[in-house]
Amino acid sequence: MSDEYENKTGYQAQSSETISSGGRGGGSGTVPDADHVRPAEIPEQDLYHGHSFITKWVFCQDAKVIGVQYFLLATFTGIIGLILSWLMRLQLGFPEAAGFMTAEHYYQFVTMHGMIMVVYFLTALFLGGFGNYLIPLMVGSRDMVFPYLNMVSFWSFFVAVVVLLASFFVPGGPTGAGWTLYPPQAILEGTPGSGMGILLMCISLILFVAGFTMGGLNYMITVLQARTRGMTLMRMPLTVWGIFTATILAMLAFPALLVGGLMMTLDNVLGTSFFMPTILKAGEVLEYGGGSPILFQHLFWFFGHPEVYIVALPAFGIVSDLISVHARKNIFGYRMMVWAIVGIGGLSFFVWAHHMYVSGMNPWFGFFFATTTLIIAIPTAMKVYNWILTLWRGNIRLNVVMLWCLGFIVTFVNGGITGLFLGNVTVDVPLSDTYFVIAHFHMVMGIAPLMVIMGAVYHWFPLVAGRFLDEKLGKWHFWLTFLGAYSIYFPMHYLGFIGVPRRYFEMYDSPYVTSAVGMNEFISVAAFIVGAAQLILIYNIIRTLKIGKPAGHNPWQANSLEWLTPSVPPEHGNWGEKLPVVHRWPYDFSVPGAKEDFITQTTPPSEVTETEVEKT
Amino acid sequence: MGIMSEKEQSTTHKIGIYLWIWGLLFVLSFFSYMVDWYQLQGLLRWSLILIFMFLKAGLIMAFFMHLFWERYALVNVLLWPMTAIGCFIFLMVAEFQYTVFTRLFYFVVGGQ
Amino acid sequence: MSDPKIEGYEFKPGFKGMAQDTGSDQTMFKGVHWGKAMMWIFLLSHTFIFSCFLISYMKGRGSTLIDWPNTSEVFSLHVGSTPVPLLLIAIMTFVLITSSGTMALAVKYGYEKNRKMCGWLILATAIGGLTFVGMQAFEWSKLIHEGVRPWENPFGAKQFGSFFFMITGFHGTHVSIGVIFLFIYAYKTFKGHYDEGKRGWFTTMKGNYVEIEILGLYWHFVDLVWVFIFAFFYLW
Repeated sequence: MSDEYENKTGYQAQSSETISSGGRGGGSGTVPDADHVRPAEIPEQDLYHGHSFITKWVFCQDAKVIGVQYFLLATFTGIIGLILSWLMRLQLGFPEAAGFMTAEHYYQFVTMHGMIMVVYFLTALFLGGFGNYLIPLMVGSRDMVFPYLNMVSFWSFFVAVVVLLASFFVPGGPTGAGWTLYPPQAILEGTPGSGMGILLMCISLILFVAGFTMGGLNYMITVLQARTRGMTLMRMPLTVWGIFTATILAMLAFPALLVGGLMMTLDNVLGTSFFMPTILKAGEVLEYGGGSPILFQHLFWFFGHPEVYIVALPAFGIVSDLISVHARKNIFGYRMMVWAIVGIGGLSFFVWAHHMYVSGMNPWFGFFFATTTLIIAIPTAMKVYNWILTLWRGNIRLNVVMLWCLGFIVTFVNGGITGLFLGNVTVDVPLSDTYFVIAHFHMVMGIAPLMVIMGAVYHWFPLVAGRFLDEKLGKWHFWLTFLGAYSIYFPMHYLGFIGVPRRYFEMYDSPYVTSAVGMNEFISVAAFIVGAAQLILIYNIIRTLKIGKPAGHNPWQANSLEWLTPSVPPEHGNWGEKLPVVHRWPYDFSVPGAKEDFITQTTPPSEVTETEVEKT
Repeated sequence: MGIMSEKEQSTTHKIGIYLWIWGLLFVLSFFSYMVDWYQLQGLLRWSLILIFMFLKAGLIMAFFMHLFWERYALVNVLLWPMTAIGCFIFLMVAEFQYTVFTRLFYFVVGGQ
Repeated sequence: MSDPKIEGYEFKPGFKGMAQDTGSDQTMFKGVHWGKAMMWIFLLSHTFIFSCFLISYMKGRGSTLIDWPNTSEVFSLHVGSTPVPLLLIAIMTFVLITSSGTMALAVKYGYEKNRKMCGWLILATAIGGLTFVGMQAFEWSKLIHEGVRPWENPFGAKQFGSFFFMITGFHGTHVSIGVIFLFIYAYKTFKGHYDEGKRGWFTTMKGNYVEIEILGLYWHFVDLVWVFIFAFFYLW
């Protein structure tokens, strides 16, 4: 059995003696003192190399393949979420054309759209997709530390998605309780999918959390314990910092969802009364009694708010790297950026009840949570200033990647400012449950992270597939998406101000109808166009795989390790015979005195003596 | 794949310390059982329960789980997140008091 | 455990050491095996799960207007004809602490490469865990016999039954999983997998006695959770 685990590709596990030969006073006296890096303290990792189609591509233990698997499955669910949003917009904009939709359908689509997009699309894509692909490459390890667990992680995600989608086909359909799944209405008759739908949703979430825990442990331990020589925490690309911090948040926040989901399942199946108060239904007292619905809201948002940052922090990290590379300038205030990510992560556990100002919780919580919410705006604003200062006087390449980054900054600032409105109790009370809220969170955690995902796809596609995506198609894709997304969400602020409530199937003869109808139609048309515009990306990817321009090594002249692999796309084990040795941070762009405008992380100091590099 | 190779054995601790902690845990468990046995009530009961609980938990973590001998980097990573739990507990205490208040106010006082 | 030796790295104590470890390359937890670091983070995540359970229990118990049953009566056992409060729970606590002690010793003998002693102690731990699960099953059946159900409770608030079965059930599941792994590890220890560095079933890592410590961490955590459940659920 153990034979299967022997190294098959030929590189030998090196003992610490051979690795340390480059050290001070080691065997070879040629290495200058300044280039000295501490010898390896971790022995080489033995990898299991698949040798059949199944072990190479299906049950694969290579983090890069798992990352692509995560990416594809998350994108698939995301497309389902997109179609659901189309159906919702069809109902809101052109109700007469959506005759096949009942109110129950509408609520089911709202619920599934929300849950799919937040958990199964964005979380899985950033942490599972980008995390798996980039972490081992960027910190210079051969693979994730527990490859088998990593594989199981993906397949539990797969099962979770299957269970989630199965709920479309059970009697009663998927749950229609809204993505927050608030009891008591989530499990009472009358709510669509109150029987099997909500049960499958809870099971799917529990599976997702279990699978994610396995993946999250991998990401964390790989970053903490398996970096290459010379790679200190403060030399890691901000992408890794963002994904790493988001993983910590996920490891500590998902438990609350797990507990909430489990208790709701018991309420649903066994008839316990964790969240169920005494309920009168048609004059009859139900068997429930004494439970606390608000407890579920606390548990849900104790998960839910960190979840927002689980989606946002990887986006922050990735966009920092993209901006730095394509503005040919070091990221402004690297340490500040790291501490801002960590600070936002820490604070995100103390702000959850700002989602519950109108829930009937203890009134003085408003003071506490409004204060913490506004404090969290400080590190966030710091990051925005730093992105802008990175661009300032940079040597900007205005390519598609940079366009997505600029689009991100604009949408994120827009969504962040409305967040300040909603963080204040007095302003939130009239605005809550209106379209203003929808506009806010779609701007800040829907469109903004999506812009980063798109930018990241255009940026790293040459690494994953070895070919450039087409720039011209990319620009069409960007402008349609960016302007279209703005046309969708910007008018929603106005709808919110005039008081149009969210989650309403239709507006009937309410007084806002006159001014809201035209706008609703406009928004719906924009939504159809934006959704369809994503086909450009799919076409672009398929076309590029066949006839794209070959990228070769390090096509963007970037510094970080993932571009420095011996083969493009990188193979299993990433680094060939020898692990890279890191001498600097990944942001040495346009250094005065350097021959080229970038100095890779593996360039030793002795090769760039004439330059003014910062000591990192 | 181990960080500690064959050559560098970590030192183990004397058996005495484990037996001591073991004994202490028995004694503390016995004490906390006695709190119930003698039916102590009120503040004394809660404070004794909590003191014994935290002492037991601390001993298990510090010596059985070796946290006392671990480096501060690990210890701090493990203990700081507990502030979030502390905050959650603190706020939920306020929340259940408020829930009881509203239930009494609307269903008992208001009902009469 | 105590500071290992790493070539070219000088260990500093206390917070200075923490700053230095955090700022160094390759690893943040110096000399900590990957699996052990993973287990610690896993337990941290699990701490949040059990904390959420206990916080929910606090919120649920605190906000119900119906009286909570008197636990020392509900959980009493009759010895002869006199009721002894919490007798079974006390015995369960002692059993679990005993098994925790044997586990700690197993870890110690494991690191000393005392294969026989280590194996027997793991086996003793497993038997302790099995006893605990058995007594819990007895306790459950006793309560069910008296009419306590997750959805109802003849002694008072409904939530008593719900929280009792959910929290002890979740804890008991963890104990059972631990027992299964203890038996597996006892087998592997006696077989000498850790002495020869035989690779595990689902991993490319070589066997090492550090795995006993990792399992020990899990087992002590289960004990730790029981300390909190004992205090909050039975004594409160």
